Amino acid sequence: MEIVHVTEADELTPEDQRFCEATKAWFKIDFVPKMSRVLLTIPEFGRPYGRASRRAMMDGALTRAQKELIATMVSAINVCEY
Amino acid sequence: MAGTTHAVNSVADGLRLPLDFALSPRLAAVPLPEVGEVAPEVKAVFDEIMTFYAMDHVPAVYRWMARDGGFLQGYWRAVREAFSDRKLDRLTKEILAFAASMTAKSDYGVDFHLREARRLGLSDPMLTEAVEVVQLFNTVTKIADALQLQPDFPHTVGKR
Repeated sequence: MEIVHVTEADELTPEDQRFCEATKAWFKIDFVPKMSRVLLTIPEFGRPYGRASRRAMMDGALTRAQKELIATMVSAINVCEY
Repeated sequence: MAGTTHAVNSVADGLRLPLDFALSPRLAAVPLPEVGEVAPEVKAVFDEIMTFYAMDHVPAVYRWMARDGGFLQGYWRAVREAFSDRKLDRLTKEILAFAASMTAKSDYGVDFHLREARRLGLSDPMLTEAVEVVQLFNTVTKIADALQLQPDFPHTVGKR
């Protein structure tokens, strides 16, 4: 059970709601992940972090699929179910 | 692959085995069999390992495993299978093993898998991007754990 209240997407500012819409499109999902909402609880942290994430996860010298595999590996080693 | 990488790193770092490529200040906490002392069947495994990794010496962690030749043979064959080209290519697997080693703070694993990934074609831009992803997900996994976030992606999303 989460130990904090996870902000609902419609409680965020319009700018952050637009960012959440981009996140949904990025992942091809119809909901805003909790992590995105948690990060945007402090927009001064969440917004630049989100931009850095988007930049880092795009196709580049490594493909997006390879990057998602790396992310999965990090999560596995850290035993992070989320 | 995650399992063998993590286990081999645990043995190598736990026994403080010297790094295979970088200058290493570590002194092994245990004696390692010398290559010239091992039985012919173990020597054959050593040769396979050196060929697979294009190395001129046997990695310290496999020398340690050679104390039990039967174990070495079985474990090495499993590692070789896990790291061979299949649906994922060897380079991608080595990048993943490098990411696992960084995340687990394994000096031995970072040294070993970074060298192997570079040998297989890892460029500087690829390395930069891989480390960025490691950094990003070491951030969010810690935040998720600290807040005990429950998964919100259905396990069937994107399943093929």
